[in-house]
Amino acid sequence: MAGQDNVEPLVVFQPISVDTASPDQTGMLVMVNGLLVAVLARLDAPWHECPGAWHMEAGLGPLMGVRAPVFDTLQDARRWVRRSMQGQAR
Amino acid sequence: MQDALIRKLESFEELSDADRAALRTFVPRVRQVSARTDLIQEGDLPGDVHLILDGYACRYKVLPDGQRQIMAFFVPGDFCDLNVFILDQMDHSIGTISPCTVAEIPRQAIENVITHHPQVTKAMMWCALVDEAVLREWLVNNGNRQADRRIAHLFCELLLRLEAVGRVSDNSYAFPFTQHDIADTMSLTSVHVNRTLQLLRGLNLITLQHRVLTILDVEQLKAYCDFNPNYLHLRNARWSGRRQVPWLSSVQGG
Repeated sequence: MAGQDNVEPLVVFQPISVDTASPDQTGMLVMVNGLLVAVLARLDAPWHECPGAWHMEAGLGPLMGVRAPVFDTLQDARRWVRRSMQGQAR
Repeated sequence: MQDALIRKLESFEELSDADRAALRTFVPRVRQVSARTDLIQEGDLPGDVHLILDGYACRYKVLPDGQRQIMAFFVPGDFCDLNVFILDQMDHSIGTISPCTVAEIPRQAIENVITHHPQVTKAMMWCALVDEAVLREWLVNNGNRQADRRIAHLFCELLLRLEAVGRVSDNSYAFPFTQHDIADTMSLTSVHVNRTLQLLRGLNLITLQHRVLTILDVEQLKAYCDFNPNYLHLRNARWSGRRQVPWLSSVQGG
């Protein structure tokens, strides 16, 4: 479903399973211009503050070492990634 | 209330009755401070030295993008800014985590003690050196340990530091930190912290209920994160025999 949303050519999501040492296994690869820059996981474990939100597990390149906020939706994640790549992330 | 301080200093150096009396006069202004309140902010002129008598505080810095980094936790008996009171401007902030009882010690009082009570001075040097050692250990922790070990290490450290000032019973201590606090300390996200707490609970190493942390198996938790308490330089540790500073005695003797 998220894959079909990728009309924006800049940021593309690709589903993937992620080992987070927790029940949060549903993930997305985040590609910008065809290059992998982040891995997201959906917060499915019952103990999370924001169940169903998306968490950046790892960042690469310009997102390496960045502590991203939790995203309510993939659209929020897309906007944040786009801004971050332009060096304007908040 | 200054007993926490005396107890802590005595864990570094033997104090005389006169030293203890000097420390008791040390606490002229005691203030109750709410949780999440700054004692001093980055850019302020350092004035009084802050000593935590009860509660927890932290040393932190906020980056322009709003990210906070916590560089130190203060527990009862800890000076927040013993070594920065000489500086002309604060390069970081100090704020409470929980409601705190804080003694504000005028610079002059510290200078008096330094002049007249060498054992207290030595003990305060121990405090400053141990603070640095803790900071070094935190650098190692954040840079080189896995997230779960990192947090386990902090739990072990707090256990020993709080035990030294009589704030631990049955391996339990007050834990007013939020997951965001731990995340900002360990350079993790609060999601990582949350998962790690679940993991440590699942391993029956800790429980965390009603803001009280209980370490269920201290030896196992220490082994889990390869905890070596040498950097805390506690008197009752096995290396205490080596804690002699002969050059300082000879300087003071002469």
